[in-house]
Amino acid sequence: MESIRYERLQETLYFETMDNGLQVYVLPKEGFQKTYATFATKYGSVDNHFQVEGQEEVKVPDGIAHFLEHKMFEEPDGVDVFSKFSVKGASANAFTSFEQTVYLFSATEQIEDNLETLLNYVQNPYFTKENVDKEKGIIGQEIQMYQDNADWRVYYGLLEAMYQKNPLRIDIAGTIESISTITKDTLYECYNTFYHPSNMMLFVVGGVDPATVMEQVRSNQKAKDYQPQGAISRFFEEEPVAVGEAWHEVRLPVSEPKCLLGLKEVKNGLTGEALQRRTLTTKLMLDLLLGNSTQLYQTLYDEELISDDFGSDYSSTTEYGYSMMGGDTRDPKLLVKRLQEEINKVVATGFSQDAFDRALRKKIGGYLRMLNSPESIAHEFTRNRFRDSDFFDILPIYESLTVEDVNARLREHMNWDQLAVSVVVSP
Amino acid sequence: MNKTGFERGEVNGIRVHVMPTTRFKTFAVSLYMGTPLAEDTVTPTALIPFILRRGTAKYPETTQFREALENMYGAGFGFDVYKKGDYQMVQFRMDTINDSFVSADESLLKQSISFLGDAVTNPVLENNAFREKYVTAERENVRKRLESVVNDKIRYAAERCIQEMCKDEPYRLNALGQLSDLDQLNGANVYERYQQWLENSTMDLYVVGDTTLDEVLELVSSQFARKTNTLHAYKISIPRSAGAEVKHIVEKMEISQGKLNMGLRTPITYGDNRYASAWVANGILGGFPHSKLFTNVREKESLAYYVGSRFDPYKGITTIQSGIEIQNFDKALNIIKEQLAILQAGEISESEISQTKAMIRNDLLESRDSAYQMIGYDFNGRFADKDRPVEQLLSEVESVTKEQIQTAASVLTLDTIYFLTTEQKEA
Repeated sequence: MESIRYERLQETLYFETMDNGLQVYVLPKEGFQKTYATFATKYGSVDNHFQVEGQEEVKVPDGIAHFLEHKMFEEPDGVDVFSKFSVKGASANAFTSFEQTVYLFSATEQIEDNLETLLNYVQNPYFTKENVDKEKGIIGQEIQMYQDNADWRVYYGLLEAMYQKNPLRIDIAGTIESISTITKDTLYECYNTFYHPSNMMLFVVGGVDPATVMEQVRSNQKAKDYQPQGAISRFFEEEPVAVGEAWHEVRLPVSEPKCLLGLKEVKNGLTGEALQRRTLTTKLMLDLLLGNSTQLYQTLYDEELISDDFGSDYSSTTEYGYSMMGGDTRDPKLLVKRLQEEINKVVATGFSQDAFDRALRKKIGGYLRMLNSPESIAHEFTRNRFRDSDFFDILPIYESLTVEDVNARLREHMNWDQLAVSVVVSP
Repeated sequence: MNKTGFERGEVNGIRVHVMPTTRFKTFAVSLYMGTPLAEDTVTPTALIPFILRRGTAKYPETTQFREALENMYGAGFGFDVYKKGDYQMVQFRMDTINDSFVSADESLLKQSISFLGDAVTNPVLENNAFREKYVTAERENVRKRLESVVNDKIRYAAERCIQEMCKDEPYRLNALGQLSDLDQLNGANVYERYQQWLENSTMDLYVVGDTTLDEVLELVSSQFARKTNTLHAYKISIPRSAGAEVKHIVEKMEISQGKLNMGLRTPITYGDNRYASAWVANGILGGFPHSKLFTNVREKESLAYYVGSRFDPYKGITTIQSGIEIQNFDKALNIIKEQLAILQAGEISESEISQTKAMIRNDLLESRDSAYQMIGYDFNGRFADKDRPVEQLLSEVESVTKEQIQTAASVLTLDTIYFLTTEQKEA
């Protein structure tokens, strides 16, 4: 077991890679009642075409990672996994995103038992024809429920508009049609590939003793017979630089139209710290440009084009990158026009040192606040680690940024050729 | 120090509650202001915090107000307007980094309380009224929010069910007020309401962080200018009983998933000795993934993606909500009614009881890791005028018997069934 001390944050992180390749991280939080554990695989909805070294190339139906997540809660002994946790006072959950599937629990007592349950159920799949068919009904309801959700539709509409080939454009849950083709065999195939310990990470944070946790995980993993697995290659069709559609419209009853603007990154392929740096720089830039203390925000608010839900975000991996901005608006076309005009003015002048210092303080404050939340730490750490970057590097990276970096990023990113707009309007 | 961990004092008619602790990297500040929910004041009262967050005498422009927050390392400033029993609550929150992690010129706690005090008691005025420009803009903001309820069908159905159920009680009102009142509101009449509100609200101010009661009392006494020093206690009303006949409401809208909601009355409130039993009973019915509703409606019958129940001990209402396929309405309704009847008949297994108790215990223990949750828990006791430290509730829950659960469930009476369905009823 090794450890790193982050003096400024008053935190120490312990870690070890198990013999079978599982990476384990423990962050003790003194005085905390709760322990929060995530067991994550680097496997999400975009991984629909892959190959394990020395094996055949495989293509699988859309929505299978999410389907698999649902099915992991079924056990051969018929006892529901939720019950196994709740009888020990733990609340359990799981979620699937574009790039990862995460199983988690939080508990204040009987941590050892709960950790054992987490490791064992995720490492013990049980799929049958019957339980797979039954799940199609439940997931079908879930897909339908999201179809009625305007916020979700405007977001997916944007991804669909920007991306022509990348599976990002496909709903994480798949479609009613795509999930109908899922069988227990396809599930086992995906399971065996992506749930190999060498593709997984365990993160435990809270009132725990790191050495005890490591010892428990070590002996738990030793008892399981994992054979080494080759590297996993993921295949993505080449994504054109241009957006697919400049304007994407969906009709759904809403009190006011919803409108999201997306700017698709031209240059991709960054990894590790370079990727993290670009992400943090862009987020800071968007805050300086569109945050609720900016003149631009206030102007558009006074024009009644935006309201409190207006916001922006940036997301990027090696394969893709995009920013988005928007919210509810009375007039989507006018909002797009006014945003472009106002942003162009800022691009022409750049940000002042003063504004930069203030925005940076805010980001640093936000980061430190996040360290109060075991959930945020676990999720952000894992997400960063799977992208070969380090959550605990964020503070030093922020502190190394200059107003010139952010201005350069502003000029580079605000390229209207890369714009796609998604709107939801009433029928 | 008492069993709750909060030290208490009173100044300017404000109850002050402080928990000195070094466990968090932040100071959490929360101010509760409650006035009776009433038709003629609900809308102007709801508008007040929206106007207050636009500017103070010190920072009259909204951009200045928000820049000041950014300079305090991005201090969080937020508010909520909601119903608690028959009260309309306005709650302000601030959270700031503990100075020891950053280099601040002046104590960030002092800056926070002074900022909050200014925001609440010293707004920017013009001709002895609120600034008209802010009133107009925020009136439109509130209008949009009220209109947007329909966007989220889950929330919409829940709200409509309560409206129908509480037709002739103030509780039917949305905490944000009524659309029909908005047009008549202006800088003068909202300011008038503001002055009454500031004088008549029951005020509770909480701080959790590295500080002392004396420090906070001194800050509050100098930063919260208030004309009165009278403390207005909350008055709790007795819950109503269900109508003689169950109300059936069907509403049509263009949706793909139906929403079935039910409202039930219970005489058990937070101050009642049966509170712990009622909480466990709700947990067994629909509070958790192992509950009767979830396992029977979703897992066994695949009828719904979500189904659960919520117990509101301040109003004496339990609600059941589910998302179902339109054609499954009768089937889902019957299963839900059947599960309720089973619970009321005392068909409760030992494992249902022990799992539910373990989950509630975990929720209670976990709440101690969040400053705002500890504040929220403590405030419940102040609101209901019932001292019940976490330790006590833990042991009350532990000792609840099957008979007590049955009794608490038996007093639940179905009042209203609400179904949101599609325009075209499929055959």
